[in-house]
Amino acid sequence: MITRTTFSRTVLLIGVLGTVAVLVGPVDAHKTPIKPEQLKAYQDAFMEEVRKGDLLFHGDEAMAKQMGVVLSNTGMACAMCHPQTADTHPHTFPKFQAQMAKFATLRDMINWCIEKPNQGEKIDDGSEAMKALEAYIYWSNSGSVLTPGKF
Amino acid sequence: MSDLEQDRREIAKVLNQPGVRPDPKLRITRRTFIHRSCLVGAASVAETFAWWPLMNTLDIAYAAEQSFKFAWISDTHLYPKSLNTRFVEKVVRAAKEVQAMSPPADFMIFGGDLAQLGKIEELELGNEILKEVKIRKVFIPGEHDWYLDMGKKWGELFGPPNWTFDHKGVRFIGLDTVSRAPDYWSMKKMSPEERMAHMSVLDGTVAGPWAGVGRDQLDWLQKTLSTWDRNRPVVIFSHNPLYEYYPPWNFWVRDWREVNDVLKPYTKVTNIHGHVHQVLYNEIGNVRSIGMLATAWPWPYAPEGVPKLTKPMIRVDPGDIYDGVGWGKVDVTAKDEVDVEYVMWGRKEVFARSPEDASKASIPEVLRPRIADTIWPY
Repeated sequence: MITRTTFSRTVLLIGVLGTVAVLVGPVDAHKTPIKPEQLKAYQDAFMEEVRKGDLLFHGDEAMAKQMGVVLSNTGMACAMCHPQTADTHPHTFPKFQAQMAKFATLRDMINWCIEKPNQGEKIDDGSEAMKALEAYIYWSNSGSVLTPGKF
Repeated sequence: MSDLEQDRREIAKVLNQPGVRPDPKLRITRRTFIHRSCLVGAASVAETFAWWPLMNTLDIAYAAEQSFKFAWISDTHLYPKSLNTRFVEKVVRAAKEVQAMSPPADFMIFGGDLAQLGKIEELELGNEILKEVKIRKVFIPGEHDWYLDMGKKWGELFGPPNWTFDHKGVRFIGLDTVSRAPDYWSMKKMSPEERMAHMSVLDGTVAGPWAGVGRDQLDWLQKTLSTWDRNRPVVIFSHNPLYEYYPPWNFWVRDWREVNDVLKPYTKVTNIHGHVHQVLYNEIGNVRSIGMLATAWPWPYAPEGVPKLTKPMIRVDPGDIYDGVGWGKVDVTAKDEVDVEYVMWGRKEVFARSPEDASKASIPEVLRPRIADTIWPY
């Protein structure tokens, strides 16, 4: 059981550490204005993930092999039901997903599609393939209004 | 204003002249009551859901000499059996159901995309399954059937890609809207398999605006219609819709303006098309268009451009391979009506009852064209 004194001490400690972090900060993050070449590097890193995700999403066997995943065993690819990622609605997750009968994340939904319609092999939540698929799906839907929970 | 919006305004200006619409005798009759969901809900969607009463059939008046019916199957997208048996099972089911129609259909039209990658074994598999249907069969090609060998095998199996015949007072025309793609493969020295792979991706950007009728076929269409009374019914089958719905997915033909010029004098034209894998209805000038279901899988509605006259189909369950897909019956009755009925497996009600039942109306989305296929060598 947390006593009132313990709780007060914990809050004080967090406050002190937070103040120190703000005043001192990490050694070299965000201390100088971001240069255009840095911005480009960040954007390039993102778009490279989008490119990989686009290829995975469209059933590119070479990219799937390179990333060590089997997303389909039926010839179906994600884009066959979701051209341009239509009807993926990443901006509505997390939400209750009827066919899974649970409160689900986009990653849960991606794996459901891999396992059910595609009859492929589930991928790890934190895997490079999952991040690439997420990057592509979100990029393709950028501009859509965020409506988490929307059925 | 976006390019697409400008194009749409142009369509409206050119084609939807005041007072011009399909012959009033072709008016859709109301078979069922208006569902209460039409009377409530947000104003922005109320119009869509109220315009068309809930029904599974269209009644269109025709001057048929005697009653008859025909069946439509399309977009089976067959892979070899060794890879995918689900698509095969669905074509088998559709073929059996068409053959079991009572009274029997006068003929069956296959509306294209029999194969997925245009392979000989895919086309032969489809041809073999459809032998279950003993009535007369006519075929038009889809892009998936064509771009591996440029229609060679398809032609051997099914003959010329465009044709016409008269049946009980109706002139039927089959159009080839797929074979005239601009050459995207020669300069890049693509193999036939690479050419087919790009063509087989609906949202690909490499194959470009491949859907078209072509000047030569337009001249043929004009000549074919020149011997037909302008007030007698014409039914045109095509793989792609003959108007502009969503060009990035080739939900159009690029020469829709010229097509409409040819069809303009005829007052009772109905275009029945595949490719969209979804319930779709539109009227452009004198021409009404009806989109049919696939047997393979349903496409979602495009992010923009869905005709306002379309009553959206129901949101489907992606866990059920028989949901959202099926075939179509068309009855031409002695009372001068044509009923188009969607046979969606496992569903009594094909149309959405509310915005929540139709995903497109419920969750708006803004989408970008894919990017990986624009990076060499893709």
